[in-house]
Formats: sequence, structure tokens, C-alpha cells
Amino acid sequence: MAEKKTTGNRASIRSQDPNQRRVLDSMTRHRRLTRQLEALEKDNFQDDPHASLPQLVKRLPQFDESNESGKRRKKTRGDHFKQRFRKNFQALLEEEDLSVSEGPNYLIACAEPSKFPQRHFCAVCGFPSNYTCVSCGARYCCVRCLGTHHETRCLKWTV
Amino acid sequence: MSTLVLDNGACFAKIGYSHEKVSVIPNCQFRSKTSRLKTFTANQLDEIKDPSGLFFILPFQKGYLVNWDVQRKVWDHLFGKDMFKVDFADTNIVITEPYFNFSSIQDTMNEILFEEYQFQSALRINAGSLSAHRYFHENNSELCCIVVDSGFSFTHIVPYCRGRKMKEGICRINVGGKLLSNHLKEIISYRQLHVMDETYVINQVKEDVCYVSQNFYKDMEIAQLKGEDNTVMRDYVLPDFSSIKKGFCKPREEMNFTGKYKTGEQILRLTNERFAVPEMLFHPSDIGIQEMGIPEALVNSINNMPEEMQPHFYKNIVLTGGNTLFPGFRDRVYKEVRALAPVEYQVSVVLPQNPICYPWEGGKLLAENPDFEEMVVTREDYEENGHYVCEEKFDI
Repeated sequence: MAEKKTTGNRASIRSQDPNQRRVLDSMTRHRRLTRQLEALEKDNFQDDPHASLPQLVKRLPQFDESNESGKRRKKTRGDHFKQRFRKNFQALLEEEDLSVSEGPNYLIACAEPSKFPQRHFCAVCGFPSNYTCVSCGARYCCVRCLGTHHETRCLKWTV
Repeated sequence: MSTLVLDNGACFAKIGYSHEKVSVIPNCQFRSKTSRLKTFTANQLDEIKDPSGLFFILPFQKGYLVNWDVQRKVWDHLFGKDMFKVDFADTNIVITEPYFNFSSIQDTMNEILFEEYQFQSALRINAGSLSAHRYFHENNSELCCIVVDSGFSFTHIVPYCRGRKMKEGICRINVGGKLLSNHLKEIISYRQLHVMDETYVINQVKEDVCYVSQNFYKDMEIAQLKGEDNTVMRDYVLPDFSSIKKGFCKPREEMNFTGKYKTGEQILRLTNERFAVPEMLFHPSDIGIQEMGIPEALVNSINNMPEEMQPHFYKNIVLTGGNTLFPGFRDRVYKEVRALAPVEYQVSVVLPQNPICYPWEGGKLLAENPDFEEMVVTREDYEENGHYVCEEKFDI
């Protein structure tokens, strides 16, 4: 009598219906990577603690008789700066208009891609990885890390 | 007539009179959740009792000064009566700028130094030029040197010949201390404990615990071992600002390899993060940034220089900036450059005693130089000729 092989409770991850797991294309993966790298440039990940406070009452202008022309000049110049120089880095870079100038400049000085091959590390534990997640392209080193990845990060946010 | 030397960095401002010592002061403003009304400037950081969830307001973005409001507030505090009590009409200022600084920022700086603060004279210069000046002062016989300035925002590799920078060789890697800290925050937040808001604390962790490994894959293997064999693993005790004011790394004897700790402290267990984070300086591609690492960029930069000068550059590599303080940094750079450089050239990598203040010391020497008077632009010069005279004189 042939004995039926018991499958037990093991369910292979591959047996998940492929229609249920969306696969991201390379453009989306690239956008996600750019998003992650830009997040690394942030100064703060929390909101300004002072943001929700009510605005302080504006100080009334003081019409005094004394000859404080020097001080007054300084104050107006301060406001002038505030309006003029609120630009962020990207705006300043575009203003420079570096494509017309010759010779070395900020954009040319940027380092080129490395000649050595890229190394890949597991997104979960950080050790060298050998495998790639089918859906989102993240690297993993072992099946346990793949499980953690599917539960926590895979396709949890998309651009 | 005194000279104030200010190395205006994105993280720290190194400031001091040329006849006195240097002070390293944070170049930003802070806001804390606990003291809701006050904004702390620069070194008022010491007054904050609870630096958890500290909110940073930096005037620099990607290494360039964009937010003049904050910068002026910090400078007002530094130049004012609490700190350096600067007498503007009687003071020269030596101030540093990043490489390839935008002309709009340079113009604004001129206006602020001469018209708002009204310094007697000013010299705007790159920080690396001050480092090179200091290096040549010590090693009189050398003609060329290459300065690696690895700071908060990015890393620059700049060749200098006879005191002038060679623009064709300047190489910028967009990896700096900020990126390393943010990456460490992300991986700790994913693997152990949510620390995304704790920039100040994790910065301390990075400085205390991270090191540059000499043999990356071997260290990776060791970090995967269990128990006592894992010599890489460290436990870091996080501060709770009531009993533990400052975080510290637990010494190996006290570590509990099996089971949990009995005391109520919050502990981070760090294994491969210790050396994987500084590895990003050597391989930015680890994280997805398609750029060369420091040793490769050094060799690349030197190869762009004329043939006769190349051996001189290899003999005089100077490391400056905060990131060079990682243990093992200098040896790793030497090892990698030696492997990539031609065998007949001699390679020598110098890590100064105090890499953070090295440019400041160069500024101090420059202020005492007899040629200093010809290099600066005085206020009268500026008022007559405007921005043009600064553009001509300063080699930014």
C-alpha cells in the first residue's frame, strides 16, 4: 500500500499565488531608492516643537524721537535679507546656471560611479546577501529574513 | 588689530582669535520639546537638560550656506558679549567656505561681513587651503599635497600644488557625517528601537562605538558568531537623562551574552552596524549612492594631475575632518591606496593630532604670515569697488 506523503504544515513561500504579490518594475524601484536616499539628507524627522505655538504678538513699532538711524537701517536690512534669501539649495544651484560656464564647477566635481562592483546587504539584518525579493527587489540573506521582510517592509509604501 | 579665525562648518564652527585657543561650537540652533519657548543657539546646548528628541535648525543645506537667518543669529551670539566680544572696527576675519561656493552666497557673505557686521577686513578661503597651508608650514620641502576633507555634509578630495588648489582634481563624494548618522538611525529603528528623532543621541553612539574595519568580510563573519566568540558585538546603554546623563558602551566584562539584563536600562546591541556604517565612506555603493569611495577617488584625482607631480601627491596625503576620527580610518585609507597606486611610488597618509581643528590652526598661521595684509580685502576696498574686488582676490 502506497503511503501518502504527508505535507505537514510547511507552506512554501513560493506557493503563494503570484497574482497576489505585485511585482514592481525597475522605474518604480529606482524611484523608491531615490526617495530613500533623499530621506537620508533630512536634518530632522520630527516636526518643529514650536510649530504649534501661537504666534507671538508682533512688537509695535516704536516712534521715538532719538536719532537711531543706524539701528533702524540695520532692522530694515534684516527684513530685506529674510525675503531675498529664503531660497533653498536646489533653487540656488539652478540660479548658478552651471551648464554655460567652462572649466571645473560644482557638478563636474562630483565623484564618478565606482569601478568596483556593488555589494549587496540583507535589508533586514545587514549581513552580506545572496538573494533578491521578487516583488520589490530588496536583498535578503536567508529565508527567515525574507519572512520578516514580507511581514514588515515589502510593498508597504510605494511611490 | 586682532584677527578672528572662523572655520564655518555645517556641523561645528571652529572659532578663535589667532592669538588664543580654538573653540569648537555647534553651528546651529536647537529646539527642545521640554522647554517650549526658548530656541537655543550654538553652545547654549549645554543648558538643555533633556536632549532627547532635539530639533536641529541648521543654516547649511547639502554643505552650502542657504539659511542666513539662522547663521546670523548664531554669529550674533558668537560675536556678541557672551562669547568673543568682537570689536568689529578693529578686527580682521578669516572665514572658510565650501568649494565651488555659489556666487550668490559669496556676494551675500561679503555684504553681511562688511555692511552688517562691518569688519575692518576679511579673507574668504576654502578650509582645505588652510589645511594645506598648515601642512606646508610643517613640511617645508614638499611641493604638493592632497587634502581629504571628510566632514558633515560631504567629502572633498583636493590636490594642492605650491599653495594653490588644482581645480581639475577636485572630487566631491556626497557622503558625510550626516548621512552616516541618518543611516545608523534608520537601521537601528528597523532592527531594534525607534530612534529616528534622536539625532543627538545616535550621533554620540556613532562616535563611541563605530570603527573602520581593516578586513571587511572577515569582520562580517566574526559578527555572525554567537555568544562570547563574537568579539565585534557591543552593548550600548542609552541615556535616560535622569540617572544616566550620557550614553556609554558597556565594557565586555559586564556584558550578558545569554538572556536579558536585569536592570531597567535601555540597551542597543550593535554587531555589524559598528563597521558597516563607516564602510559607506569607502563604498558609497553599499547603500545605493553610485559614487566612488575615498581611496578610489584619491587615486582618480591624482591620475588627473600631470605625470611629474603624481609621486609627490602620493607621498603627501592629509586627512582632515570629523569622519577621520573613526578608529582604523587612516590605516584603511593607506591600505587601499597602496593597493591601487603604482608600485614604484611611495605612499604616505598623514592623520594630524586634531583633524577637526587642523584648518583652524592653518588659519592661525596664515594670520601671522607677513603676506596676510596683501591677501585680505579691507572695508574701504569693498566700499569703493564692490563685489568685484572680492571675486578677484579670493580664490574660491
